[in-house]
Amino acid sequence: MVKYLTEEWAQQAKKKVLGELDRKKDLKNMNAKLLNIVQNVPPDNKTIYYYIKFVDGNLEELLAGPDESIKQKEAEFSVVGDYTTFVQIGKGEMSSAMALLKSRVKLTGNKMKALTITKPLDNYTSCIKNIETEY
Amino acid sequence: MKLTEVLEAAKKEAHCGMCKLDYLETGVCPSGKKHGFLAYWPEGRVELTRALAENEVEPTEALLDIVSSCNFCGICDKQCNFITQLRPMKVEHALKDYVDSLSKNQLRHIPDDDVLKDLRAIVGPEWATNDPCIIASYTRSALRNKPTTKFYIVMPRTTEDIVAIVKLANKYKIPYLPRGNGTFFSVAMNTLLSPAVSIEQGIIIDLWRMKDISIDPVAMTATIGPGITSFELQKAATKHKLRANVAEAESHVCANAQNLGIITTWSNTYGWSSDNFIDAEKVDMEGNITHISDQEIPNPYATDTGISSLCLIPNVIVTSLTVKLHPIFDDEKNIFVPFTNLEDAIDMAENLAKRNVGISLAVISRKYLSEFLCPTHEVAEGFNEVLKKYVKLNYLVDIICTDRDRKIIEEMTDVSFDEKMVKSLILGSAKLASMTNSSLLKMISEEKDPLRALFAGPLRKHLENGLAATPQELAKVFDEDLREFYSKVYSRPEITNPIWLHMFRILPCRMERKHMWMYRGGYMPGDKKTILEVCDALEKSAEKYHIDGAFGFLSYLDHGKFAHLEYDYYYDHTDPHARKRVNQSIVDSWKRQFAIPGVTPLEFIINKGLRRKEHILYPFPPGLSEEELPLVDDIVESVFGGEDQW
Repeated sequence: MVKYLTEEWAQQAKKKVLGELDRKKDLKNMNAKLLNIVQNVPPDNKTIYYYIKFVDGNLEELLAGPDESIKQKEAEFSVVGDYTTFVQIGKGEMSSAMALLKSRVKLTGNKMKALTITKPLDNYTSCIKNIETEY
Repeated sequence: MKLTEVLEAAKKEAHCGMCKLDYLETGVCPSGKKHGFLAYWPEGRVELTRALAENEVEPTEALLDIVSSCNFCGICDKQCNFITQLRPMKVEHALKDYVDSLSKNQLRHIPDDDVLKDLRAIVGPEWATNDPCIIASYTRSALRNKPTTKFYIVMPRTTEDIVAIVKLANKYKIPYLPRGNGTFFSVAMNTLLSPAVSIEQGIIIDLWRMKDISIDPVAMTATIGPGITSFELQKAATKHKLRANVAEAESHVCANAQNLGIITTWSNTYGWSSDNFIDAEKVDMEGNITHISDQEIPNPYATDTGISSLCLIPNVIVTSLTVKLHPIFDDEKNIFVPFTNLEDAIDMAENLAKRNVGISLAVISRKYLSEFLCPTHEVAEGFNEVLKKYVKLNYLVDIICTDRDRKIIEEMTDVSFDEKMVKSLILGSAKLASMTNSSLLKMISEEKDPLRALFAGPLRKHLENGLAATPQELAKVFDEDLREFYSKVYSRPEITNPIWLHMFRILPCRMERKHMWMYRGGYMPGDKKTILEVCDALEKSAEKYHIDGAFGFLSYLDHGKFAHLEYDYYYDHTDPHARKRVNQSIVDSWKRQFAIPGVTPLEFIINKGLRRKEHILYPFPPGLSEEELPLVDDIVESVFGGEDQW
């Protein structure tokens, strides 16, 4: 059991994605740099940064934590939302596209391009939701 | 009577919300008026009965109060039957019999929790609840989940109440959803859109109590709260000989303006979206109050457009809207020009729109004419058949104009009819519907141009006189116990006056008498080629999935530069197979529409109603290429899941 959005969780998630997902079939050779800004993380309502970088479907970076250096990473999309929403997405209770549609998260960046990568991102989320996680 | 005996009727309910309006001068349900929550209105009692019959909710202490608050006055039967042909009283009797059969210890006590206590501290103890029986009444018109999950209903009175509720929701980290009269929800909730327009738990903010309204006849504006319906605003405006551009009677004006920008046949003159209002007060997701007129804010009219702009839940709550009102002229006339072909009807309407002729201008279908004018669906079917078979009347250009414009129209055509004929058609609808073997109609049908034969010559007078029926005669199509009442209703001049009916829009929910409908169409360039292409695309999607599709109405904006098309898909919302097919046809119709340059399907203008129409409609979208179209499938799958999920 690892705590959601910690460094340990990020390491397990990266290992799982690299081990289980096919770059072409599952991740559609996607190129994307996405920064999630997770607000109101309990117990003290701090902000956590969660960054992923895919190059040709290869997960090159997956970082999570309160470290400001993650926030400084170059990203073409940034998604801001509440911890409870990210938990719902993480557990597979709500897709990231649905969260966007319901204004539960705010997206900065090219929305059209973001929509073209929703399918491989769904596969990514679906893969890591099976990590035994403490939310 | 057992609940199961009324289940089918209860399931059929379309949640039109008309029972909250005093549109037949009967008054409204006294219980609903006193308690507010949907469960105390006829619409909600019927939904609650369905939920109990289908074991979605257990009886609670509130159920006893809901049932005992009904005095069986019968207002609901009169109102509901006029629009939907349903008889809620029968359902309410079954609900009472059911509650009478329960012992007190079978009624669950629902304890208050912290959220409820805090909500009650904001709005007062009687205006917030977590009772599953009350919550159940909102199923299918705000909620998709069974009321077992954690929900609250709260009815604020002021903007400050809403600010406090939003802050409370944020404090407890639970979602909230504002609800007007639920009419949009009730259409969307039966489709794949339901997860995107509803919340999985949290607070439903029912805006019914916020009924402030003030008219400034000099400035020709009305400032209204979010509980004001289109009917109520129009009623207040007409007292000053002014008219509001409003949606269907039951819709809440603020919600409709925000959601869809107020789509009407009057857009030819009054416009759409931000053309309709002067200012709006909004509460954002952090609980801040802003006004569109504030100077230190980003451009409030700008918006995303296109396929990536779908957003079905509002991110602000409009708490006050100052809308424009327009003068009513003494010489206004309603002229109907009948057509056999849609192309010809569009030619005329486009020509009129370009010349800015017509305060209200639309192409409407025979289906709309039949369903709106006829007292029952059965009469409408006969009426529709007679117009189709004998008269070849398939479309109408429907114009409300002053004398100046009337002369232009008369120069363009001598085949037309006016309010007098509409009155005859309404009162004589049952008679016309039964004329399937009429020798006169057979003779007309054999003419080279039946429409000209009927409406341009002396036959028009014959038809008018031949149909001339009394309200008492028309009332015979209703249940016996309601006939006297409907005789009086149809004796009121406004009920047969098409201009009044265009303004007050009390009839559109008659579309739901047989089956539920799903709105298709949207905005597009106003040229005939594009409009016909969209009609064809929507018809193909309907045919592909065996859905009963029909042209509804077409209206114009900006001197005919843009058109809005409503094309409706009718289906049995109580049949899961029909629901599946309608979902498939929705996705298919999106793809077909996105392939046509300049077209924005309706769902993609939702929540842009307060934006400026120029920001929504320009630049014309180029139309998705063959390579790009699969993106629609990807988005649908990401947002709504695969077909197996809907």
